[in-house]
Amino acid sequence: MVPQDYGFFIDPQRCIGCYSCVGACAECGTHRGRSMIHLDEMDRYNSTQTVPTVCMHCEDPICAQVCPSDAIKRSEDGVVHAAQKPRCIGCQNCELSCPFGIPIVFPGLEQMLKCDLCYDRTSIGHKPMCATVCPSQALLFVRKDEVANLRKNKPLRDFLIGTVHVETKNALMVPDPGTPLHLDAALLIHGGF
Amino acid sequence: MSLIGELDLEPRPLIRAALATLALIGAVALGSRGGRWLDPALLGYLLATLFACFGVAYRYFAWIERPATRMYFTHTVRLLFSSRVFRAAPRMALLALDQIFLQRFIEKRSLRRWGAHALLAWGCMLGFAVTLPLVFGWVRFTSEGLNPDRYQAWVLGFPAGAFPLDSFQAFLSFHILNVAAVMVIAGCVLSLIRRKQDEGDSATQRFDLDLLPLVLLIAVSMTGLMLTASEQWLQGRNFATLAFLHELTVILLLLGLPFGKLFHVVQRPAQLGVTLYKAEGEAEGRLACKGCGSPFIRANQRRDLGALWKELDLDGARHGGGVHHLDLCPRCKRRLVAKAQGVRLHGAFDPFATIPVHAEPISDSISLTS
Repeated sequence: MVPQDYGFFIDPQRCIGCYSCVGACAECGTHRGRSMIHLDEMDRYNSTQTVPTVCMHCEDPICAQVCPSDAIKRSEDGVVHAAQKPRCIGCQNCELSCPFGIPIVFPGLEQMLKCDLCYDRTSIGHKPMCATVCPSQALLFVRKDEVANLRKNKPLRDFLIGTVHVETKNALMVPDPGTPLHLDAALLIHGGF
Repeated sequence: MSLIGELDLEPRPLIRAALATLALIGAVALGSRGGRWLDPALLGYLLATLFACFGVAYRYFAWIERPATRMYFTHTVRLLFSSRVFRAAPRMALLALDQIFLQRFIEKRSLRRWGAHALLAWGCMLGFAVTLPLVFGWVRFTSEGLNPDRYQAWVLGFPAGAFPLDSFQAFLSFHILNVAAVMVIAGCVLSLIRRKQDEGDSATQRFDLDLLPLVLLIAVSMTGLMLTASEQWLQGRNFATLAFLHELTVILLLLGLPFGKLFHVVQRPAQLGVTLYKAEGEAEGRLACKGCGSPFIRANQRRDLGALWKELDLDGARHGGGVHHLDLCPRCKRRLVAKAQGVRLHGAFDPFATIPVHAEPISDSISLTS
């Protein structure tokens, strides 16, 4: 069980694009050899900015709701696990429906894999691989009460897509977490990619 | 409150499961010639099998009523009852061979996992293929007339060949379950070793879901082998006790079938339907992401997911300009989160805001071939 007084805090603006997290993630025992973290370049030609994305571990995961084989389970500690191997039929519903673009279905394996908060480590009190190696602490796994001392920004766990609320276990760091973070595609289409 | 209400059972799957069980009872009655060929020693197994049939059928019918499951189930049923089935049949046969019988997708996950699973799965299939017809009274063996040296096989009450007791055919008939038992034990032991050594499996496994079925399968196989050992080498010593223990373990396994991990055996064929669904989607073409313009989602899956999201009360996930969240590729969804954070952090001084450029090709790991 992952300690409930610990939290995962993501701050993409601190990312320096070193790819340490990508290498470390592949060492995780639950998906050994395959990196489940996404490190995207925002605009490869005009900016050095990179964005690390791990699973946000939704309270009511849409990936699980759209899974036809009921293979995606959320454990009591709030971790949404990769699809159960005996059940997953590789349909990609989860991959296409995740609000944050996290799961990956590997062709041929018929198996969805995703970040599971390095359950083999966090369940015994260690940090996830990515947070262990992140030099700029864009990925931070610390006690929840420590974050206020470490960051000016505050954790936000509430996202809004249109009228759909998505609450998560992992947090994104913002200055004013009072209102949900509105994910509007207009930002992508008109905002300058 | 009624019993159904207390157990929180859904009425429609309940009725369908009852009908499926009645159909099996009818098939048993017919195949055993009105019960005449039923072996009284196997009645306990028969009752447990009927319960397992009801439980598995209930869970199956409840499962296909889930909106997401119904999406694929309906598509596959439509395919099976249309003229397209003739074109799809050869591919379905090949897929069944590859995915259900050979299970090559497990080989791609790990050769070790495949080896253990193949032994386990084929051992179980062989075991059930032999025992179920015996339990249902569809197959039976007797002495040929008054000749104690020859065995007569009966299928559905009809004679189906006789063979001498010292023939290879007799040896195979008497020991095929032992072969199945050895395969199952080997598969289970390999699985247990892998589970012990694999850090990921060790962290996420549960005793009731992951280990208990393996322990039960070993118990069933061991007690079965011990029956042979008692009969062959111990002059039948403790045979009755061993028979009772074997029956007990088999009944426990059958009773647990609808609730545990072994239910995936019934779910796995859905993979065939999904593969055909994907192939049809590929033929129809992929739609472009409304963020970056790269093709990513199959047209049929976009349609069906749209309907599914509506049914799940997620249809409000629409952005300005009529863009549905499903119209964004995974990569754009990820960049959108960072973009939204950037706006919240810095407003006009958003570090992520750059000069618009032409959409670059998607480098996401989402497959264009899977």
